[in-house]
Amino acid sequence: MRWKQFLTPVKSIDAEQARSHITGKSPAEVTILDVRQPGEYESGHIPGAKLIPLPDLTHRMDEIAKDKPTFVY
Amino acid sequence: MGGRSRVAAQMLSGKGFSEVYNLAGGIKGWTSESAFGVEELGLSYFEGAETPETNLIVAYSLEQGLRDFYLSMIPAVKNKDARDLFQKLADIEINHQNRIYNEYLSFSEQSVSREEFEQSIVARVAEGGLTTQEYLNIFKPDLESSVDIISLAMSIEAQALDLYQRAADKTSDERSKKILMKIAEEERVHLNELGKLMDSMNT
Repeated sequence: MRWKQFLTPVKSIDAEQARSHITGKSPAEVTILDVRQPGEYESGHIPGAKLIPLPDLTHRMDEIAKDKPTFVY
Repeated sequence: MGGRSRVAAQMLSGKGFSEVYNLAGGIKGWTSESAFGVEELGLSYFEGAETPETNLIVAYSLEQGLRDFYLSMIPAVKNKDARDLFQKLADIEINHQNRIYNEYLSFSEQSVSREEFEQSIVARVAEGGLTTQEYLNIFKPDLESSVDIISLAMSIEAQALDLYQRAADKTSDERSKKILMKIAEEERVHLNELGKLMDSMNT
């Protein structure tokens, strides 16, 4: 089985770069999105992150501002 | 890493979010300073098929990939619930394939046997892509960790869900739109089941 056509590129950023983006910005200016399950979120998450588990994402996209930078983990 | 955030980032990008980043290394990359490196995969976009036939061929190929993935993961996971779920999901993908093949026949003007369909038409679509093994190499799941494997399965199902939704949006044929939406909905149910399994492992 070959998968190529199902993968789309997305910008990846490492923690260091993400920090320099986020530092000095208020939480209202960026979205940090946690797509893990609630149990994983509870056992540790980035401060200020919004939890929307992956299975819920298609139904709950309107909870995230489209015009702000969004960091997903 | 399971690739869930990557798929999520990709889904957002496709829905008009202006600036989306996948945080490479996830929470681990954030808490420890360890570098995971930026994923630079250089893979091409799925262009979105134009005709109902092409949509169905890609869908068939995707189901084959999902099934192969689940079957190859069964011996790799130790947790029995995970093994049972993977077997069940692998079986369901066959039902999807049957439905897709029958739909293809009703669109296609000449009759094509299942074998011919798989060997010539579907194989051609998938040419040049990644094998399941190469796909695994990209995400490097820890095969000893059920959480990692389930996470990868979730990212593949989400990818499938996203693909079917986009294909359904694009097609102007009402009947194939309906079928694609129905399959998308079933993939969402799979995703939920995998999520529940993940929850049960964290407690």
